[in-house]
Amino acid sequence: MKKLVPLILLSILIITSIFFFEDTDSRYEKLSKSILCPVCQGETLFDSPSEYADDMRIVLREQIDNGLSDKQIMDYWTSRFGDRINTNPQNENLILIIFPLFLGFIFFILFYRKIKQ
Amino acid sequence: MISSVGILITWLAFLNLLVILLINKKDLYQLLVRINLFLHFLLFCILEIALFLDDFSLNYIANYSASSTPPLYKFASLWGSLDGSILLWNLVLSFYFYLYIKIYKKNNELYDIKIFSLIIIFFNGFTIFSSSPFAGCIQLASVGCADFTLLPFQNLVESLSGRGPNPLLQNHPLMAIHPPMLYIGYVGLVLPFVIATSELINKNKNEEWIKIAEKSTYMPWVFLTAGISLGAAWSYEVLGWGGYWAWDPVENVSFIPWLLATAFLHSAKTQIKEFTLLNWNYALSCLMFLSVIFGTFITRSGVLISVHAFSNGNIGTYLIIGLTFFTLLFLIIGIKNIEYFQSSSKVTNFFGRTGFFVANNLLLAGSAIVVFIGTIYPLFYETIYSKQITIGRSFYDILVGPILLLLIYLMIFSTKITKNNLKITSWLEENYFEINLSIILSIIFTFFFRSSFKFAITVLGSILLVVIIGKNILNKAKKTKLQGSYWTGQIAHLGIGIFAIGLIMNVSQSYSSELIISSGDTIQFGNQEFNILNPNEVQKNEKNVINLPIQKNNTTKNASLNIFKNSTQQAISSPAVFRNVESDTYITIKVIDDNNFKLIFRKNYGIFIIWLGLAICSLSFISRLKR
Repeated sequence: MKKLVPLILLSILIITSIFFFEDTDSRYEKLSKSILCPVCQGETLFDSPSEYADDMRIVLREQIDNGLSDKQIMDYWTSRFGDRINTNPQNENLILIIFPLFLGFIFFILFYRKIKQ
Repeated sequence: MISSVGILITWLAFLNLLVILLINKKDLYQLLVRINLFLHFLLFCILEIALFLDDFSLNYIANYSASSTPPLYKFASLWGSLDGSILLWNLVLSFYFYLYIKIYKKNNELYDIKIFSLIIIFFNGFTIFSSSPFAGCIQLASVGCADFTLLPFQNLVESLSGRGPNPLLQNHPLMAIHPPMLYIGYVGLVLPFVIATSELINKNKNEEWIKIAEKSTYMPWVFLTAGISLGAAWSYEVLGWGGYWAWDPVENVSFIPWLLATAFLHSAKTQIKEFTLLNWNYALSCLMFLSVIFGTFITRSGVLISVHAFSNGNIGTYLIIGLTFFTLLFLIIGIKNIEYFQSSSKVTNFFGRTGFFVANNLLLAGSAIVVFIGTIYPLFYETIYSKQITIGRSFYDILVGPILLLLIYLMIFSTKITKNNLKITSWLEENYFEINLSIILSIIFTFFFRSSFKFAITVLGSILLVVIIGKNILNKAKKTKLQGSYWTGQIAHLGIGIFAIGLIMNVSQSYSSELIISSGDTIQFGNQEFNILNPNEVQKNEKNVINLPIQKNNTTKNASLNIFKNSTQQAISSPAVFRNVESDTYITIKVIDDNNFKLIFRKNYGIFIIWLGLAICSLSFISRLKR
């Protein structure tokens, strides 16, 4: 019985969080956080206080209201400002994710073998 | 005049360092190291005096200060750009040299003195051969100075008023504290480098070197933690975007040494107590300093664009040469000691100290590598494809996020780590109450904030960490004082746990909205009412400020736009922040259009908790002071 209490509590936590709640970020937030403001120093549209970013945000809102898909919207912006405006390059550059994981794997194996000896 | 004096003293300091490098008299270096510190302090004072006298015949002052600059920012202008910041760097380095011979030097050899002086010669040489803050101006630009000379006693020209510092750097008093703090942290990592290399180059090495190296790393680590935290606070207060960390390249290269230093502080313990991981410890103790030079190269050579980056011609090549040289030194000494490294004991207990610390080191070094890749990948990409690419927050979220989560779960066990394996069943029984309490708190948190699974497990880990370590610390503090490195660790871990709770609240709960208002309006935002009062304009020497007073209940705060006179940059928006333990309301002006203001209202959760956690983490050093 004593062991059951934390397990039951834990399952309540997991079930509620998985089934009842979701990330609340709207599409606008997600997209404006992944598009770089081209005239600022390393800030996204969402963060930037510049007027230029403000105009871009208005366009982005219209695009979402007009029902464009995420891909269409990103294509629109990258075709005008270049790939650098997309702050999620890992989707097209999978090596960015794979390489660190691969390195981690190698590290782990090296340590494991060392310990086994 | 000041220019010539400064340049001559720089030469003198250089000569003095050459003498330290070349002589073999063991009784003389004590004096020479003190002279070196004195000369660098003198240089610092002379440049400050020149800044306050508005001596625009100095290239540096003409370009990075102005007569209208307020005193505090004149003082801080010394490290406001590359040449001056190297002067501060050298002063801190000289101070550490003195500290080293005073506190950490335990042997009679001269290897460490030679290596240390070589490092200072390298950085001091830059101000002699490449660019110096004392360089005199020989050709004026329309504002400021266009060309300079590195020789003394030249015919100098003086501009009427200076160009002034970058507006972003004269908008908040933290500018006077954050960079020196960081420098004390960065430069201090030279100590473990010198200690490790000089002891291992020596045939009669002192087996205690790791203890000294660990001790010497701790103070820089504290300053690095505090410096990075202050930088985050500064960014939150000044940049007006409501955030504190942007994975900007310059932030990244300050984070890499921090991660490595944190890893080293842990892994050094395995060698001190169990004589394991010798090669790894040697590598870490050197990589910390090398990553600092690398960071300087990345951010000061102009290869990357960033808020913090400033560059000046050939420093890139200079730093690359230095980086290569010191890396070779590290590698050669490492190779010579392969036999010594093989004498290392084997790791036997997976759930004992070494096992935990190996896991900790893999994760910390892993995140350092991820941050490193994220920082330099755009450089490679641009070289290969001639196209620019930006690596944003989501990349780090995917890779660093889970690593930090694992680290939090590892830290929970840090109260009870010994050489022997941790018995998980008895651990669970001992902490039965705390575990249940933490899960219940997490459920409440999850309901209250309607958070998702990702956040729920992070919250659970952080609350467990805070509860279990909090109990541990309270129990001890009731009986005696918290003293020694174990308690330093516990307090730091507690700080990280609190920080993590704030962070997860901030990431998951914050929201914002844009509103167009005119004065006299009352705005409803997040269950609170804000009255917008009449704007006013203040004329100062260096800038015009448009203030928009905003009233909540009985407190009034100004959101303002700063328009700097000497700058072509756009106006800088300073936020009005209504603080609360749980959340801040952060209001910035975006655009002024006749009598209409476009404001951004942000609800930033957990900011206070984040600062609290970081402060506790930085203050952990108190338990390590000698009493």
